[in-house]
Amino acid sequence: MSETIKVIPCSGMGKVYGLVARESALKVVQELCPKESSTVCLAYIVTGDPEAKELIEGEKCITLDGCPAMCAAKNAELAGGIVAEKIRVVDSFRKHKGVKPGTATELTEEGWLIADEIAGEIAEKVKLLSREG
Amino acid sequence: MSINMVKIGVVSCSGEDCLGGTISRLATRKMLDEVRPNATVTICLPLFLAGGVEERGFAEQFPTISVDGCSKACAKRATEKYSGKVSAAIDVSDLIGKEVAEAGALSTRNLTDEHKAMVEKLASEITTKFDEVLRVAQRDQVAKGLAMVGGRSSGGCGCGCGPK
Repeated sequence: MSETIKVIPCSGMGKVYGLVARESALKVVQELCPKESSTVCLAYIVTGDPEAKELIEGEKCITLDGCPAMCAAKNAELAGGIVAEKIRVVDSFRKHKGVKPGTATELTEEGWLIADEIAGEIAEKVKLLSREG
Repeated sequence: MSINMVKIGVVSCSGEDCLGGTISRLATRKMLDEVRPNATVTICLPLFLAGGVEERGFAEQFPTISVDGCSKACAKRATEKYSGKVSAAIDVSDLIGKEVAEAGALSTRNLTDEHKAMVEKLASEITTKFDEVLRVAQRDQVAKGLAMVGGRSSGGCGCGCGPK
């Protein structure tokens, strides 16, 4: 078992929420918690390769999903990951009614603010889960 | 006589672990947004497992091009495992080099002109394959009835969540 918490976004292609999930996750693993967290390529997990499964099986995960299909959470669980937190990006948008976050291609300044806010919340969870060991 | 709009599926890995994943995602979005907006559809790769029968029918419903960010070819292999054979496959590392493609993941916040040039190059390659696949699909449609490319709707996600 590795010592990092796996932060896994859906990276959904169809809506801005997928991009927000992706950018939030990258901010956590690259900037906010580079020592305590890492990500696993979700597409690799989806292949079902034994090597991909090994990366996630028995690992604590935080998943970020952009739509109710909850692809990241479902695929992480199917591969044997321990999903400690399932973040629904759309829930964060409820606190920001009327914002124009951008598209699935590009975030606006408002979109970046929400992605950063979600990243901050996940970073707290990563630190908590890391302390729990 | 029925009129069928021919649409082509472009499925990217959108990998979170390397630069190639970001480039594959952005080039696929470019197809949807700019290059062939009326004839391109996509689907989130993880939906093949998380979704249902409808999602798994994607590659049977649409001739599909897989776009992979690295040589693991997850988009191609997962599409063929869960949905159907792809009509064409592109590996970003063949275009920008394995070492570059497998460099660290890139946030769109940090896109440089060099990265944008990679996206352009990949989108151009996808377009070439796209037009080949489209011609074949149109020929098949013509054999059945009358084919028409594009239409009012903009390119969207195959999961039915609607455009952007």
